[in-house]
Amino acid sequence: MQKIPFSLAQPGMILARDVIRADKPNGPPICGKGLVLTESLIERLANLEVQSITVHGNPLGIDGVKTLEEDLESLERRFRLVSDDPLAEKLKNVYRDYLVRTSGD
Amino acid sequence: MEDFRNDFRNFILDTRTLPTLPGIVSKLNSLVENSKSSLQEMARLVSSDQVISARILRLANSPSYGFYRVSTISNAMILLGVDVVKSLILSSSIFEIMENSILGLWEHSLGAGVAANIIAKRLKLQECEEISTAALLHDIGKVIIRLKLEEEYEMLLRNNEEKGTASDLIERQNFGTDHAEVGGWLAQNWNLPEKLSVPIRFHHNVDETEIHQVKASVVHMADVLIRASGFSRGGDTCVPRIQPTAWNRLGLNDSILSEIVEELEDKLVDVKNFSMEIHATDDRQT
Repeated sequence: MQKIPFSLAQPGMILARDVIRADKPNGPPICGKGLVLTESLIERLANLEVQSITVHGNPLGIDGVKTLEEDLESLERRFRLVSDDPLAEKLKNVYRDYLVRTSGD
Repeated sequence: MEDFRNDFRNFILDTRTLPTLPGIVSKLNSLVENSKSSLQEMARLVSSDQVISARILRLANSPSYGFYRVSTISNAMILLGVDVVKSLILSSSIFEIMENSILGLWEHSLGAGVAANIIAKRLKLQECEEISTAALLHDIGKVIIRLKLEEEYEMLLRNNEEKGTASDLIERQNFGTDHAEVGGWLAQNWNLPEKLSVPIRFHHNVDETEIHQVKASVVHMADVLIRASGFSRGGDTCVPRIQPTAWNRLGLNDSILSEIVEELEDKLVDVKNFSMEIHATDDRQT
């Protein structure tokens, strides 16, 4: 699966994660994972100003999205030198929450 | 050690060693100083150089500013301001080097520009465009060090990658100066306004500046955020310490940070895409 800018959304792509409104990140999803994109759905999502979506496959040909475990592991690795810094710890927790919340697993 | 430091200073002062500075900048400067000249005149001058215009429009349309579809130089001047356009002209040759040879740093810089823009807008700060520009330019010192030392510098960074030592520390240990100081010298040498040169100079030690501390704090946080997100690498893979002065000065807290991260992660998809499109275009042209 891969996170792509919404401008590249094409009919036929399959959502790999729920779509959440950018202006209401904690609100309910507006589109469930597994849904196949259609012209009209893309138009409706565009009207809701969706910025990016995560779809199955690897349409952009760059690195795909990693699993939550892999993401959390590399997060720990990036923060390994600042484990004694309370502010960096806060940031790490914000990132961990973000990764868990958006993983859809 | 002091010799090394002086070497860098002289390297920057010696204009022959740097990528050519477009003569258009000195003409633009005299227009800016003349209070009678209009924005239209300035825009006409810049537009007369097609290569430079194309580069400016490319940067003005980058996700770092978030306007999109800036199609003319006079639009760019109105939206970004003359100071920003001037600094983009000056840096465009440096960016060219970054784009082509230090892809990681180029993406890191674009990402930092985006992050700074998001922070500045979220905190309702003034001069968002200047702050984005300072973040976009915060690591130009690295390009200068690389220009001067070439492989030696890269080997040094590569050897330290595993240990995760911050690049500014390695630079100070080996050359008696670091990319922030070198970048600051360059910005001064270019006569960039202090609101741009100060954040570049102090993005690793915000508490050492008394002026433009808020802007320097935003650039510092933008740099930290991009490393925290794991988005591209500018020679550093590890998240640095967050400077308490920057955190307090900006009045950050968990919930603001969380909103910023949410928006940033969304935008970074655009940045990746932008950088890939540029390289695809360049490949077709060459």
